[in-house]
Formats: sequence, C-alpha cells, structure tokens
Amino acid sequence: MTNAAAPTQNVSGARSLLYHVILCAVSLVMLYPLLWMFASSFKPDDEIFGNASLWPDSFTLDAYMRGWSGLTVSFGTFFWNSLVIAVLSVIGNVISCSLAAYAFARLKFPLKNFWFALMLGTLMLPYHVTLIPQYVLFLNLDWVNTFLPLVVPKFLAADAFFIFLLYQFFRGIPRELDEAAIIDGAGPWRIFWSVMLPLSVPALATAAIFTFIWTWDDFFGPLIYLNDASQYTVQLGLRTFVDSTGKSDWSALFAMSVVALIPVLLFFGVFQRLLIEGIATTGLKG
Amino acid sequence: MTTTAQIPLTISEPEKRSRRRGALSRTLVSYSFLAPWLIGFLGLTLGPTLASLYLSFTNFDLLQDPQFIGMANYQRIVTNDVKFWHSMQVTFTYVILAVPLKLAFALGLAMVLNRGIAGLPLYRALFYLPSLLGASVAIAVLWRQLFAKDGLANVALGFFGVEGPSWISDPNYSLYTLVLLSVWQFGSPMIIFLAGLRQIPPDVYEAANIDGANKVQQFFRITLPLLTPVVFFNGIVQTIDAFKAFTPAFIISEGTGGPIDSTLFYTLYLYQEGFAYFRMGYASALAWILLIIIACFTAFSFLTSRYWVHYND
Amino acid sequence: MTHDLNRRTLLKAALGSAGLGALGSLPAFAQDARVRLYWWGSKERADRTLKAVSLYQERNPSVKIDGETLAWGDYWPRLATQAAGRNAPDLIQMDYRYVAEYARRGALLPLDEFMGKSLTIGDFDKASLDSCKVDGKLYGINIGNNSNALIYNKAAFQKAGVPEPVDVTWDKFFELAAAVTKAHNGEYYGTSDGSAEEVAFENWLRQRGKALYTEDGKLGLTEQDAAEWFAMWAKARETKACPPADLQALDKNNIETNLLTQGRAACAFNHSNQYVGYQVLNKNPLGITMYPQGAGPNPGHYLKPSMMWSIYARSKVAEQAVKFANFTVEDVDGAKLLGVERGVPASPKVREAVAADLDAQGKLVVDYISHVTPKVGPIPPAPPKGAGEIQTMLRRIAEQVSFGRLSTTDGGKQYVSEAQAILSRA
Repeated sequence: MTNAAAPTQNVSGARSLLYHVILCAVSLVMLYPLLWMFASSFKPDDEIFGNASLWPDSFTLDAYMRGWSGLTVSFGTFFWNSLVIAVLSVIGNVISCSLAAYAFARLKFPLKNFWFALMLGTLMLPYHVTLIPQYVLFLNLDWVNTFLPLVVPKFLAADAFFIFLLYQFFRGIPRELDEAAIIDGAGPWRIFWSVMLPLSVPALATAAIFTFIWTWDDFFGPLIYLNDASQYTVQLGLRTFVDSTGKSDWSALFAMSVVALIPVLLFFGVFQRLLIEGIATTGLKG
Repeated sequence: MTTTAQIPLTISEPEKRSRRRGALSRTLVSYSFLAPWLIGFLGLTLGPTLASLYLSFTNFDLLQDPQFIGMANYQRIVTNDVKFWHSMQVTFTYVILAVPLKLAFALGLAMVLNRGIAGLPLYRALFYLPSLLGASVAIAVLWRQLFAKDGLANVALGFFGVEGPSWISDPNYSLYTLVLLSVWQFGSPMIIFLAGLRQIPPDVYEAANIDGANKVQQFFRITLPLLTPVVFFNGIVQTIDAFKAFTPAFIISEGTGGPIDSTLFYTLYLYQEGFAYFRMGYASALAWILLIIIACFTAFSFLTSRYWVHYND
Repeated sequence: MTHDLNRRTLLKAALGSAGLGALGSLPAFAQDARVRLYWWGSKERADRTLKAVSLYQERNPSVKIDGETLAWGDYWPRLATQAAGRNAPDLIQMDYRYVAEYARRGALLPLDEFMGKSLTIGDFDKASLDSCKVDGKLYGINIGNNSNALIYNKAAFQKAGVPEPVDVTWDKFFELAAAVTKAHNGEYYGTSDGSAEEVAFENWLRQRGKALYTEDGKLGLTEQDAAEWFAMWAKARETKACPPADLQALDKNNIETNLLTQGRAACAFNHSNQYVGYQVLNKNPLGITMYPQGAGPNPGHYLKPSMMWSIYARSKVAEQAVKFANFTVEDVDGAKLLGVERGVPASPKVREAVAADLDAQGKLVVDYISHVTPKVGPIPPAPPKGAGEIQTMLRRIAEQVSFGRLSTTDGGKQYVSEAQAILSRA
C-alpha cells in the first residue's frame, strides 16, 4: 500500500520479485521460533520437549483454556492490568518526553548542557542497583502494591531514551520553520504545538509504539511493586506458569504468550500507519 | 538571524531592567517545558542514584544495615577479581559484535521496506515480531532447541555439508548465540531508521534523479548524510543497551552465565553478586564502574559527532 | 501555559485516586489482623493454598490472610528487595538453601518460644525439627520432607535388557548406564553427567565419611576427594555412560532443561518432591530410587525439608502467622488441602490422614520416603555463608574439567582453593 509521502519509486517486476523472495526468506528465519511456540501451544506438556517438529502429534486446545484461567485470578485480569499501565504510560511518556526534548533541542536556558548530561546519565546505570533505594522511596510514599511506581515516572519523563529520541528528531527539523512562526508572533508554546509536533508524527508514533511494547513486556517493575496476583500484568502472569522446582505448565505458557502478542500487534498495526504515513515534509520552503 | 536594531552605546536603566525581565521570563518558559523531567529527576531518580553511589562504598547484605568500608569494594574489583575482567571481556565482545550487525540489518531492511512494494505493512510487522517477544521465558526454550547439537541451526548447516558444534552449550560458541539473539531482534532500531527515512523529503530524491544520480550515489550522498542523526541515536542507544544487557544471558543460561562463565555478562555478574550472594554494596560498585565506562564512551561519541552528524538546524 | 499545567495536575490527581483504588482495601486497624503470606509454586499449589486459607479464615474470622505467590526464579529477588526495604511478608515459605542466610542476618524470627503454645509440632520426629534449625534455634516449620532421588526412565533400561539402577554401587551404576547407551547406539545416554551437581557430590562425599562443610563452617573435604569425584565422572564420559561436555552443558538442572526431560539421558540426580514435575513432562513412566550408594557403611542420603514456613523478624502479626502455619502442618483438614504437593508431611498423624487421598504418583513419592527414612544419615549442619557461591563454583569447575580445560587433579585443587577463598571472604 503506497502513499503520497513515500518516495514513490515504482519497483519493476523482476526487482519486485527479488525483494519479495529476500523478504520472505528473512521472514521465515525471523518467524521460525514463533511458529514453534505457536505449535507447542497445541501440544500436551509431555510432547513439547521431546518433539521438535512444528506439527503436534496430538492436538489439543486445553492449554488455552488452562492458561486463561490464570493463577488465582483469570488471565483476563492480567490483560486488563497490562492495558491500563501501558496506555497510561504511552500518554505520559509522549507528553512529558516531547516537552523535555523540545526544551533541550530548541530552547536556551542556563545549565542546559548540565541537565542534558545528567539526563543521558540516567540511561547508563543498570537498574539493579537503584532498585532497592527506589523501592524504599516508593515504600515511603506508600505507593508499593499499586500501579503508581510504574506509571507516575512515565509522566515525569523518566525514560531518557525517549527524550533523546525525540531530541534527535526535533533537531532534524529546520529552524527556518521556527523562525517563520516567530515572525508571525508565536511564542515557544505555539511553536511547539503548531510546528514541532505536527512534523514529528513519525517520531511520536515511534515513541508511542515503543512505550506500549516495552511497558507491556516489562516484568521486573511489576515483579517488585505488585504484590497481589489481582494486579499482576501479563508478563508477570506468564512467568508464574513455569516453576523450575515443581510443576510447570509449558503449553499454557506458550498458549498465553501467543495470546499476549495480540494486543501489541494490534497497537503496532494501528500506530505504524502514523509512523509511515507521517506528514509529508514537502512544502518546507513554503 | 538578527532582528533588532543596533545596540546603543549606553543602555538606560529601564532598558536594562526590561531586558533582565525578558531573559528571566524566557528562562522560566524554558524551565516550564523541562519541569516534568526535572521534577521526576530530582524527586524519583536522583535520590536512589546517590543512594546506590553511597552503597558502593559499603558492605550491604540487604538484610542488615549497610556498613561503610571506603574504597574496599573498588580496590577488590581492580586488583583481586578475576570474574570482573572476564565479564568485561564477555560484554565487550558482545557489544563489538552485536551492535554493528544489528544496526546493519536494521538499516538494510528499513531501506528495503521504505520502497513501494506490496505487502509492506505485513513485512514490517513480521520483522518487528521477534522484538515483541523480548524477555520471554519461551525464547530461552526456543533458542536452546535451535542451537543444540541436533538443533535446527545445525540441520540447516548440514545442507551445506557443515557439521556444527553444540552452539549453545559449548563455551567457545555460546556467546555467539546471544549475539544472534540480539541481532534477531533488530526490529526496534529498524523502526527508528524507518521513521528517519520518512523524514527525508522525496523532492530531494527527485532532484537527484533529474540530475542523473544513480541509486548507490543517492544512498551515500543523500540518504546516509541526512540519516546521520538517527544513526547516531541508534548507535549510542544500542551500545548503551548492549553494555547493560542482562535478560538474554539471564534467561538462556538460567542465571548461571554458563557454560564456564562464557555468557557471564557484566550486569549478570552484578546481579549475582547483589541478589544471589547478598553483596549489594559490591554490586553497586560494579554498577558505577560500568556507568563510568559507558559515560566515557558516550562523551567521546558526542564530542566526535560534530564531524559526521548533520543536523538540519 | 497555566492551562497546560492545570491539565497535568488534574491528571496526576486522577491517577492518585486510581492508584489508591488499585491498592485494594486498606488494612483495617483494631480487630482484624492481616497476615501477608508468601509462597512459590505452580497454579496447583496456589489453588491448594488458597483453599487452606479460606478454611482457616472461616474458623478464625478475625484474621485476614493475603496470599502472594510467584514462580521460584522470581520469588527470591522480590523477597530480597522487600526485606531490604524492611517490608517483607509475614509468613514466608522458605527453602533450605536460604534459611541460614536469612536467619543469620536477623531477618527471621526464632520460633522456639512458640513451641508448645501456638506451635504444636511436638509430634515431628527429631530430624524434621533439627533440619529447620540454624545455630541451635528453630527458624522454620517443616512443611514436608524430601530426600535425594535418582529419577530414571524405566523403558530405557528395559530396552538395554539390564536391571534398573536400584540399590547399586557407583561402579555397577556406570556399568548399567554404559549398557543403556550402547543399546541406543550412543544417541541416548544411560545417565546425565552429575559432576556439576552439588546434590550428587554431597551424597557421594557423605558415603566416604566426609561432608561439604564441617560443624564450624570449614570445608569438609580435601583436594583428593574433589579430584576423585571428577575422575569418576571423567571415566564415565570415556565409557560413554554419560554424555560429553557439550551435551551436558545444556542441562541447568532444573526440570525443563534436564537431559532426562530433553530425552537425551536416562537418569537425573534430583530430589523426591520433583518427581511429579518430571513425570508431567515425560511421556515415559519414570522410576524413583536412591542415588548409587558406596560399599561402605556411611549413608549418603539425609531427610531434609523440601520447604518450611518462616516468620519475618519484623512481622507485627507473628502470633497469627505461626497459628496459620501450624494449621497447615498439624490440623488434618488444613494439611489435607495442601496434600503432599509440597513434600511428605512430617507429622505422622497427618501423613496417615493424607495417605488416603493420594494418587498413584503421590503414593510413589510417599513410599519412597518411607523406604529411605530408615537408611538416612544425620542432617548436615546449616551451610555457612558463601555456600551458594560454592555451589555455583562447582558447576563451573566441573564444566572446565569436562571440556578438558582442567585436569581432574587440577580441578580438585581449584575447587578447594576457590572454596576456601569464598568462605574467608564471606
């Protein structure tokens, strides 16, 4: 599906076939592990490890039903929790990180380089060592066993990755556009809202996609801060299926892993259009 | 760009006050944009970070109060810790191999996907799929199946008459399976490259076509230079991530870093020290050393970036 | 600008109330005691535990028990983090490997003062009580006992036409294993390589009258002992009784990576309470028996708690927590709900009561423990600090030997010197 914004090089027939062959081959390699997981979700447990083939000897939907009944609460609850956290995180991240990125990319203010260095610095420390002091901090705020430690930092631009990402994209937007707006009497907020944001839709869509997926896939935060099984997220719920010292339910794990992919794929599918069909950058020299 | 008239030789007092007020209000506006991050940083991040720095100078076994021991942790790391050097070596090897490969695939496939071919959205989703699985336990199982002695990788190699070793359980090769895992998940940098490619205006290519430039020339003269901010971003972020890599080694080696510590990533070593052996003070010291290394690398990258990264501002 | 700030503030306020909503009901003061219960395990264990909790709450309406559960791998990091934050749960399911670590660092409450009052486990045999003591004080309530168990694939031995590895010496064991490998044309091995497994090493050491550690926390073995251990397995590798290094390294000695489950070897060195977990993943019927025993008089096995209940030292509801724990191991109704899924109950009357409800696999495990009990030796002293690290180190050195990077004698020397370094650092 081509669109106006894409470089419209119509690829010739033979070329197109070649591309397709390459893409298919790569896709197969990428996909094989997932196909195996999908196939295993239909196998009974004692077949999963002994049998590496993609086709189950005995086909059963048991795993999906067992998996859905979850732990002490159903998997549906896990899905809902993950959804709430992920959506709130996307909103918080996109808003707060774009604000901070704009400040770093376009505005002048004292101590700017100092704060920038610190902001990047937060990317560099492994979380395992700030884990316990952070836990104590949230404990003192009485936020443990709630979603707050997972969501509030997103509204406070705690993910320096996204600040940096949007910063790079903002710097790629020509200053002439800013200047044109200034001549029209716009202040920084107007420029941010009317110039930067519309031109950064691909970057913002990227930030949204990544935030959703990473929040959806995150298990360490929920592991530490959510005590009650009724608050567990999907990833945490998945991990309870496998207890290396006792009975595990591998087929249920695979079944629910497959199901857990669906919301992320949906989110990705919806937002990638924004990513790809971003506002055309024609009309720069307007 | 100059906007005002020339500055008079003497500035009147009211004028000075007005300019100061102007500067102050500009600063306030700037800081209002920065406010969420600043509040978060000062409130939620700074405290724990400084705490972990303090802990690196203590013996902290998690269950009892930390005891200050000065530089003892750092001394031990530098003079008496074989595993430190070994895990550094494992991590550096991983970074040097995984990052360039991953970025090359990401850029290559982003370019292919940026063209007008049918079925693009499907392919994009397919290539991104592995990254969606992230840290799942299922991945570990798959990887072990694929790269065991009789796993699919060796079956494929068998078609070419090559008899492969047991990649995942042979200490000489196990690290490469982790490199492959990282490269397999190139979807994230690929998406970012795509977003970057989308921001290059098509009229630039049209103009180049009119001038008679071929595809290769267009790539090296137009695409790559305009893409440098994104390349820079991906390079830095992927490298930092690779230095801090934990989950792949953790799930595939089941937290052991084996066989024979061949997959003992630095952060995995740190995790073992902190959580398995109750030596959180030592683990904190290890973490801060890693931070210093990463910071040096990043600073160096930023300083040299002016020579090859072209921003549009 | 002020417009946007207001929006953000509103959002945070809304979030705050949403967060409070997610908090669940706040702990009530006054009458209701609230006990946080923390355990690891599978869904089945969770179901059983929650049933026991409901029954207990019916009988004791003034107590509310909040259950929190995770899988084994995630369980310990969360516990460590919470304990570091002085916020650990009240009633903790504890493992033998960690109880000494937590107890010696003051995180667990000694339970001696509850004995005879809220804690009526006087009918436990001495071994079941002693195994939960650290430095003379009781820190755990034994939930169930297990012992070392060799879990093996019966069909593999039948195919080779040799007897199953029951009541054999080590030499005979390797003979049988080599025969199994031969019968399968070298594609399926008679046993997995146990050189990296501390459970097997310890058992073998005890048979020689040695031990991993002495009473005062020093090493209980010599370089020669370790070297002989490695040499024994090197010979097994030569005769193909056990797999080569690169195959064995796939095995991280948990149920799913074990070579037995992976269909590559016929025997796994493990514990009896994991038998059921293994059988679920294996199509072939599995047998359970003791590790090969030495010719001498010293028994290698001992009974140890598969898990125990411990109380957090800073718990404000210790009394109620102890009462519930007691309910699960002494009250027949409570214990029946838990079953033998956590191990064979230490109280004789409970064992009897539970016996009626056992399925075939459960029966097998209970019978095994009964069979082993008269043959066990005394439980070793609680391991010293650093024991966990030494356990990991054994794996690394055993792998270096099996991959040919260290000779067996050097492996023995390396083990001892590193172990001593670890012990002195701890």
